[in-house]
Amino acid sequence: MIRLRDVCYVRLGTRDLDGATRYANEILGLETRERSRGAAYFKSDQREHTLCYFEGDPADQVVAFEIDGRAELDAAGAELERLGHAVHRGTADEAAQRKVRDFIAFRDPTGNRIELAWRPQMGARRYHGERDAGITGFSHVGLCTTDAVRDEAFWTTVCNARVSDRIGDAPLLRIDEIHHKIALFPTNRAGIQHINHQVATSDDVQRSFHFIRERGIPVVFGPGRHPTSSARFLYFEGPDGMVYEYSSGVRSIADEPTYRERQFEFGPPGFCEWGAKPEIKEFKA
Amino acid sequence: MPILLEQLRYVVLGTRDLEAARRFAGEELGLQVAKEDADEIALRSDERQYSLVLAKDDARRQALGLEVRDEAALQAAAEALQARGIALVRDPALAARRNVRALAAFATPGGVRVELVVRPQNQAWRFFPQRDAGLTGLAAVALRSTDVAADEALWTEVFGLRVGDWVGDAAYLGFDAAHHRLSLHPSARAGVLAVEFGVEGINQVMQQFYRLRPVPEAIVHGPGRRPASGQVFLSFAGPDEVLYTFVAEGAQVDPAAPPRPRQFAGGPESQCAWGSECRIPELDGRAAAPSARPALRGVPRG
Repeated sequence: MIRLRDVCYVRLGTRDLDGATRYANEILGLETRERSRGAAYFKSDQREHTLCYFEGDPADQVVAFEIDGRAELDAAGAELERLGHAVHRGTADEAAQRKVRDFIAFRDPTGNRIELAWRPQMGARRYHGERDAGITGFSHVGLCTTDAVRDEAFWTTVCNARVSDRIGDAPLLRIDEIHHKIALFPTNRAGIQHINHQVATSDDVQRSFHFIRERGIPVVFGPGRHPTSSARFLYFEGPDGMVYEYSSGVRSIADEPTYRERQFEFGPPGFCEWGAKPEIKEFKA
Repeated sequence: MPILLEQLRYVVLGTRDLEAARRFAGEELGLQVAKEDADEIALRSDERQYSLVLAKDDARRQALGLEVRDEAALQAAAEALQARGIALVRDPALAARRNVRALAAFATPGGVRVELVVRPQNQAWRFFPQRDAGLTGLAAVALRSTDVAADEALWTEVFGLRVGDWVGDAAYLGFDAAHHRLSLHPSARAGVLAVEFGVEGINQVMQQFYRLRPVPEAIVHGPGRRPASGQVFLSFAGPDEVLYTFVAEGAQVDPAAPPRPRQFAGGPESQCAWGSECRIPELDGRAAAPSARPALRGVPRG
């Protein structure tokens, strides 16, 4: 069992590093920590970085999870190889690029690029965004799945994820007490489906709705409230077709032994209890 | 001694099309018909027997119903208003129609008709809405006033209301634990600007937003949060140029030790902390001509 402790960082390729940097700063409100070797590193919370844009193919997308020890990293690599996943051990240079002590990289059954990271670097200075979006931190990713049942089994049996709720076949998975850190959405491709940052209050969600709309950036879903996690949310378009989300008020699942996942319909009411309708391909039937 | 107001009680709105007004009140607001005849419909929103009266009349015929404690309070109000040259006129026939023990009416300097009532009736059976809009009750009334300074003086000096805050030239007035129950907005004409109903929470405000969003021009302000009161709100247009607002959350005030009133800048930014679009002329400063800007109370116009 691979024990994922937290979602750690996202790495995204882009053909326009300056444009992506401007978007991350001025729209998302992230803080640039470093520009080096064709990459830009962004801070959203106490960690040194949680998002990295690098010069490359926009289809090149990676999400990393933190694990506890080097021995666990070795064991995870062995287990993944036994299951037929090709595992790449990060070189010292690659680890330095990710600001971690050690990592392994593999692909999940859909083909999503996943990394397991040991000792990701914390920041000494606190996060101070380029705009006051109220961000409290990078919190979860939506991942594409070409077979939700198969991938749910991978994340819940090979790894330690638990199903918190399902919207149709799409499972929302937790690896700690937060309602979900991974969500799997059925589609026909591999990649990151959306990237979530938590914001402090639902006022921040609403304020960003007007901020983003006034700048001509498509809001693709919301403002709304998820009946699953109870989070108030806003989804909007980022560079290279990425979808970013702000949300606030995500539910905690403290009573792990008695919690029972629930089934919601795959349709607008399953995604929003206020009546917003998604303009996101993977959220539409 | 000011005459203490017990409660914001009801709003009377004249309408030329009683059927349309009734349909809106029932289907959009979820109000419950309490009693009706050919000319008048009284609707419930809470424990009060009614809080909105629709009358087949000129749409300019509007009134605000406020409860005072007893006959003595009514008498004291008559004297205090008389001292300002305002007549408080008793109307036993209207008292019977409104189902109250006593009623007397006057008009404020800013042109708003007010009915002071004694012992209005509550309903023992609970409110059952026509639609589940999540109403908790009549919360506040926003008034257009042609003389905000004089109206503010009347409400604070005769009836002891406290100024919650000022936003530009508009005054928000309260008398209980709510930030405000009345607000006065400078305008070229007098009357009811908006009737505000409390709803259970932000969910109901946002549900109303998504319900009305497909309707062109329906939403006039919000969804947003008022910086002064902290309320989440959505304002939408009703019949006869009256607006309706759903409000939730918001600051509670200790009436014994109210906070000092604050002055916010005029304009839409001070009306919404979320940055929502405002299409209400009275709130974005378009309603009152510069010459009509009221003098500050107690300060001669320079």
